[in-house]
Amino acid sequence: MTTSTLPLTVGDTIPAWEVPITPTLVVSTAISTRDFQDVHHDRDIAQAAGSKDIFVNILTSTALVERYVTDWAHQRTGHWDTEVRGIAIRLGAPAYPYDTLTFTGSVESVEDGVATLEVTGAVSLGDHVIGTVKVAV
Amino acid sequence: MSAAAADTGAHERIMAEAERIEALGEAAEREARDPVNQPTINNWLEAMGNTNPRWQAGEAPPSMAQVWTMYGLGGKPPADDPLHGMMKVLTDEGYTAVLGTNCEQEYRRTLRVGEQVRVTTALDSVVGPKRTGMGEGYFVTSRNTWYVDGPDGAAEVVATMLFRVLKFIPKGAAS
Repeated sequence: MTTSTLPLTVGDTIPAWEVPITPTLVVSTAISTRDFQDVHHDRDIAQAAGSKDIFVNILTSTALVERYVTDWAHQRTGHWDTEVRGIAIRLGAPAYPYDTLTFTGSVESVEDGVATLEVTGAVSLGDHVIGTVKVAV
Repeated sequence: MSAAAADTGAHERIMAEAERIEALGEAAEREARDPVNQPTINNWLEAMGNTNPRWQAGEAPPSMAQVWTMYGLGGKPPADDPLHGMMKVLTDEGYTAVLGTNCEQEYRRTLRVGEQVRVTTALDSVVGPKRTGMGEGYFVTSRNTWYVDGPDGAAEVVATMLFRVLKFIPKGAAS
């Protein structure tokens, strides 16, 4: 696999990306990740368990972080060949329907051919995910 | 069930079980239900709104690694699964609630359509009891390793994941 150079400098910021959270998004992403836990598709059960509503599952939080970074890399280089080496996230506030999940990010370090990007996904209740993405450069 | 916090023997029992289960190492090996396949990738791409053309040309998105070995609807962990074994220990001691706190995935390479993936689970650590905003609990960290067997039969690690949950007594729970 060839990897085009992703021109990254420490401190570069990634433009914000806003994801409107809908019931359809929560359900379709949970099912497409083969996660059938009821709190991701059944509001009655989610509320009975003390949640405000159904909420985005962890595999989807990771997948959206991945998309945020690779879409941005594509915009910068015109290529889709960015190699994601790892995604590490810490989970915070739940992402409920009718909220907006806003991703922001920046380049934290570039060394030994790997860039570490810091990414935050925030909802109205606070940070939903805080994490790092490692990409080959 | 009485609150574990009041039970001085609970911590010793929990840590003894943690030590026993950690010593099992990688266990509960499972095969993915299906090989890496385009229809499953397509469903995921649609749901995520991901338009990367690489994922329509024979490779699977890295963060789908875990998807291939999800239990599915009605699927159950094997009896010897280290994570679920540890969760049961804590549930039985009164730590009934669970919350995912960290997920750290590393990808060695992208998977290719047609590859058959399998996964193992190990208990990495159990730390506690800790007082948290959610209530008193233990942080349970498990480690998954995904493998593909090469044509020569050699097992290749393709991805790994550290997954941490807080297993806790909800604040305000009756003691």
